[in-house]
Amino acid sequence: MMQPTIPQVDPIPLPAPYWLFKVLLIVTFVLHILAMNFMFGGAILAFVARLKGKKDPTYLRLSQDVVKKIPSFLAATITLGVAPLLFVQVLFGQYFYTSSILMAWPWFLVIPLLTLAYYGLYIVAFSGEKKAASHTWILLGSVVFLFLIGFFYTSNFTLMLRPEAWSSKYFADPSGWNLNWGDPQLIPRYLHFVVAATAIAGLMVAFTGFFKWNRDRAYARLLMDYGSRWYLYGTLAQFVVGIVFLLALPKEKMMLFMGKNVPATLLFWMAVILAVGAVVAVGRGLRRDDPRPQLRLAMWLTAVVVLFMAIARDILRMAFLPSFRPEQLQVQTQYSVLALFLILFVAGGILWVVMIRRYFAFSHADEA
Amino acid sequence: MNYPVWDLTFGAGLLIAIVSVVHVFVSHFAVGGGLFLVLTEQKAYREQNTALLEWLKRHTRFFVLLTVVFGAMTGVGIWFTIGLIHPSGTSILIHSYVWGWAIEWVFFFLEITAALLYLYGWDRVDRKTHLWLGWIYFVAAFMSMVIINGIITFMLTSGKWIETHNFWHGFFNPTYFPSLFARFAFSLALAGIYALITGTFQKNSDLKATVIRWSVRWIVPAFVILPLFIYWYIGQLPAEVWASAQGKMPTATRYANLALIFAILTFVAALVTLIRPKKVPFIYSFVVLAFAFVTMWSFEFIRESIRKPYIIYDYMYVNSIFKQPVEGDGGFSVENIREKGVLKVARWAENRTVTEENKLAAGREIFRLECQTCHGISGYRGMKGILSQKKWSYSMILNRLGSLDKMVNGVMPPFAGTEAEKEALAAYLASLAPAGAAVAPEAAPAADGETVFQQFCSDCHEASPDDPLFVKLGQFGIDQIRYLITRLDSLNEDMPPFEGNEVQRDALAKWILEQTKEK
Repeated sequence: MMQPTIPQVDPIPLPAPYWLFKVLLIVTFVLHILAMNFMFGGAILAFVARLKGKKDPTYLRLSQDVVKKIPSFLAATITLGVAPLLFVQVLFGQYFYTSSILMAWPWFLVIPLLTLAYYGLYIVAFSGEKKAASHTWILLGSVVFLFLIGFFYTSNFTLMLRPEAWSSKYFADPSGWNLNWGDPQLIPRYLHFVVAATAIAGLMVAFTGFFKWNRDRAYARLLMDYGSRWYLYGTLAQFVVGIVFLLALPKEKMMLFMGKNVPATLLFWMAVILAVGAVVAVGRGLRRDDPRPQLRLAMWLTAVVVLFMAIARDILRMAFLPSFRPEQLQVQTQYSVLALFLILFVAGGILWVVMIRRYFAFSHADEA
Repeated sequence: MNYPVWDLTFGAGLLIAIVSVVHVFVSHFAVGGGLFLVLTEQKAYREQNTALLEWLKRHTRFFVLLTVVFGAMTGVGIWFTIGLIHPSGTSILIHSYVWGWAIEWVFFFLEITAALLYLYGWDRVDRKTHLWLGWIYFVAAFMSMVIINGIITFMLTSGKWIETHNFWHGFFNPTYFPSLFARFAFSLALAGIYALITGTFQKNSDLKATVIRWSVRWIVPAFVILPLFIYWYIGQLPAEVWASAQGKMPTATRYANLALIFAILTFVAALVTLIRPKKVPFIYSFVVLAFAFVTMWSFEFIRESIRKPYIIYDYMYVNSIFKQPVEGDGGFSVENIREKGVLKVARWAENRTVTEENKLAAGREIFRLECQTCHGISGYRGMKGILSQKKWSYSMILNRLGSLDKMVNGVMPPFAGTEAEKEALAAYLASLAPAGAAVAPEAAPAADGETVFQQFCSDCHEASPDDPLFVKLGQFGIDQIRYLITRLDSLNEDMPPFEGNEVQRDALAKWILEQTKEK
């Protein structure tokens, strides 16, 4: 077989050691994906609750309460997405830019589609419960756009792993209308992310019940039960989708998680066990009078699952890119700017927490 | 070269221009508008003006919906777009300035959070906390400008970075401070202009007058100092850059004039609202907005057009070819491509050699590799349009490819490739012009000198008495001019030989003489 064409590594050396970028990439990716799950999954949950709301108005209230939070989660998704997108370009630019160019139009369309989805969500969020029914269509439009955007993301981040497919795709259509069709992992991987989003958003919705627990027990319980069920069914569905995804990988990649690569295998199976633990906890919570301790446990477990899965994802990426040789990368650390970043990063993080705490120290006018 | 080229037939440059211009207009508002919010809030408390405060709450919602959504999305949009159109340039910027961007990201995160808390906080937190959030917002927004400005100005005035590759040398480059001051002044003006929009929308005429008077106090001073900062900015440009922008580069000059005219218009239009502030119609605020928009748009276009033919000044051309060979450049320097051939060096080429059979296809591919970052086939800067207007024959196109970097006063990179590749590109370009347009000049000789000048000389020379052509030839008589026209290629190695016939030559000589006499 012919050697695939892969662009040359950038002539400017890495301005910090490879591992530092890797750590930052994975950590910021986890934060981004959590925010994305709350936002995207939350929008789906809110939409379904809205449909239920036609028969039972308490679901309309639930839907509207969730929708109100979505624009802020979307802001968080974008902001937290900037960092991993930056670091992925530092480390994997030669793969990432190429796959982006092959599917330039869909990739570019992410921007206008997301802008429309964003405004749609704001329109729904700023409208009262009375208008909720008529705004169902706007919400649906936003959700559909989010589904498309997610698909473009999965397509790009899997196409970047297939240098062998690039040339034929590019020369067949250089106008940027390719997607990663023909990759068996494309659809299962996409579904893997979509299903995870609904499950994790379920936990988020359940968590919002915590704040209503003392004031409005029945409603809090509804939030927790509705969220828990999404988490349960989502995660159970994930066991199926996950197996399909695993089987869709080339055999030697799948075997990484079946003993061939020790860290990958450990991470993967620990994540599976923790996910089972979380499912059991949430299931128990549903039957308890006070599900909060069970839900809290499930949240922590799930956060760890997401972290482990993100690391496993990185191991899989590296396995797909044998041409990528981190040890050959030139490094010339920019100490002064790096130090400045680290200081501002920590200071900014502290200020952020202070801001949030100071803000939430005041209770909302209509909650008082 | 290193990356596949996105075959965007209507013009890649247009796409970048659209995304950037709309972003610039909102992102500057995000900075100045932050200061406007807190100072207006303080003013409302001080004057105990509840109507003003109520308006400010509504204005905050408008501000957040515009900056947090549209501003952030288009900002990320620029990044997406340049990655698709200039992947090599983007990669170099990212590798050189990733920690700058990482710092900007920290501020961006604080900025967005503070904006949302400020908006939702109107009904929730006390005044002191609310103002505190507003100040955090403004400082964070300003800091993100402080950082991105270093990277944008670096692309035009790369300064000492070219030798040292030092972060700070590139960041605090010669135009860093004037650009920052100019942008900040503009952002303050924009804060006033957007306030004019929501202000003129108010029914309460006292409130309307208050908001308008207050807004004008932001617009007018900013538009007084803005020209000073721009003048300072121009002073920091390398002499040859600005010299070429002044007279020789039509685009930049046109935009400079436009910027000046519209800055004055904005200034005047803002002042006019003070005559009867209670009666200013809503639609009028959009007139002021449009004037300011053209001013800023022109300024950004000057910056973009004087940077040509580079994406990073003195380092990388817009088509991702390195000006000089550098270590690890993958062979994508002009020198190496000339030696080995672009089809061999480029990573993404189907035709690796030029043959008689594949000549047009190879030419098309070379066009994509070297030209399509800026030129479409049709559409924006489309070659079909340009060539059917110029009516060049194949041999004339070939001549011009030899001195591309001298054409239109050096806005284009030199052609990089072998002779055979140049011929293939010329053949492809000649095939683009609609049938009948590429009539050889010999077939239909233009008899009047001005047409001949337009046809053969105007790619490099301006029809203006200051142009070296007229200055130098002014000292000669008609016979000498006629003789010199036949010897063009020996006068200057960059000039192609005269391509017209004798009738055309005589007409041209006569016309040139008339022009120099008129002076």
